[in-house]
Amino acid sequence: MDVADWLSAGFIAAGLVFFVAGTVGLLRLPDPLSRLHALTKADNLGLLLIALGLLVRNPDPLLGLKLGLLWLLVLAAGATGAHLIARRAIRADGEGAQ
Amino acid sequence: MSSNVSLSTPRDGENSLRRPSTYRFLMGGLVFSAVWSIFAGARDPASWIIGIPAVVAAAWCYASLAQDRRHRLSLLALVRFMPVFLWESFKGGIDVARRVLGPRLRVDPGLLDYRLGLTLPSARVFFVDLVSLLPGTLSADVQGDRLRVHALDRGLDPAGDLRRLERLVAAIFGDDGAMLRS
Repeated sequence: MDVADWLSAGFIAAGLVFFVAGTVGLLRLPDPLSRLHALTKADNLGLLLIALGLLVRNPDPLLGLKLGLLWLLVLAAGATGAHLIARRAIRADGEGAQ
Repeated sequence: MSSNVSLSTPRDGENSLRRPSTYRFLMGGLVFSAVWSIFAGARDPASWIIGIPAVVAAAWCYASLAQDRRHRLSLLALVRFMPVFLWESFKGGIDVARRVLGPRLRVDPGLLDYRLGLTLPSARVFFVDLVSLLPGTLSADVQGDRLRVHALDRGLDPAGDLRRLERLVAAIFGDDGAMLRS
C-alpha cells in the first residue's frame, strides 16, 4: 500500500466511525428529537469523510464534483427531513394519537 | 471582481400556491438537467428514461413553490460562508459522536425559541436547514418569526452562534432583515 491508499483507508475508516456513532445515537438517545441530532450531524460527517477517502483513491475532478453535489443533496434532504419529523413530533404532542 | 449572480425573476405573486412561472420552470429544468447529467452521465441515453421525468417533476416543484421576489446572491459571501459551514458541520459531527459514544450519555435535551431576523423565504429555508447541521441544535418548528430549536444540551446557549450564522446567511442572500435587529 502506498501513501494514497493509507490516506484513503484512514478517511473511510473515520467516516465509518461517524456512521456507527449516528446509529448508536439512534439507539441510545431518549426521545425522537434527540435521535434526529445523531442522524443529521454524525451521518453527514461520515459521508463527507467517505467521499474524501474515495476521491484520494481516484482524484478525478468530475468525480469530485459528483461526490460534492451528492453530499450537498444528502445534507439538504437530511436536514429538511429531520425538520419535518421534528415538527410533526412537536405538534402531535398533547393532540392525541394521529 | 464581480461577485453577484442575478437570480431575478420577471414576476411574482404574494401567495405560496399559484400558477408555476414558465420562466422558473425552464431555468429549473436547465439546472436540474445539468445536475442529472453530473450524477448519471449524459452520454448514456437510457439514463434519461428516469432523468427526464425526474427533471420535469423537480422543475415543476421549484416553479410552483419558489416564493422570492427578485434578488441577488452574493458569491463572495458564499465563499466566506463555506469554511465556517465546513468547520461547524465537522464540529457538529464530532460533538454528537462524543456525546453518544461515551459510557454515559451526556445529553440534557430541551426546546428553546429563537426569533428569526431573516425575511426572505429562501434565506429562511437555507438557515433553518443549517441550524440542524450546527453542533447541538436542530430546527424543530417554524411559526411566523419564531424558530423552535431543539438543543441536545440546554446548558450551551446557542443563540449567539445562531445570530452569527444568520448574519452570514443574510449576506449571501442580500437580506437586510437580520441586520436591523441585533
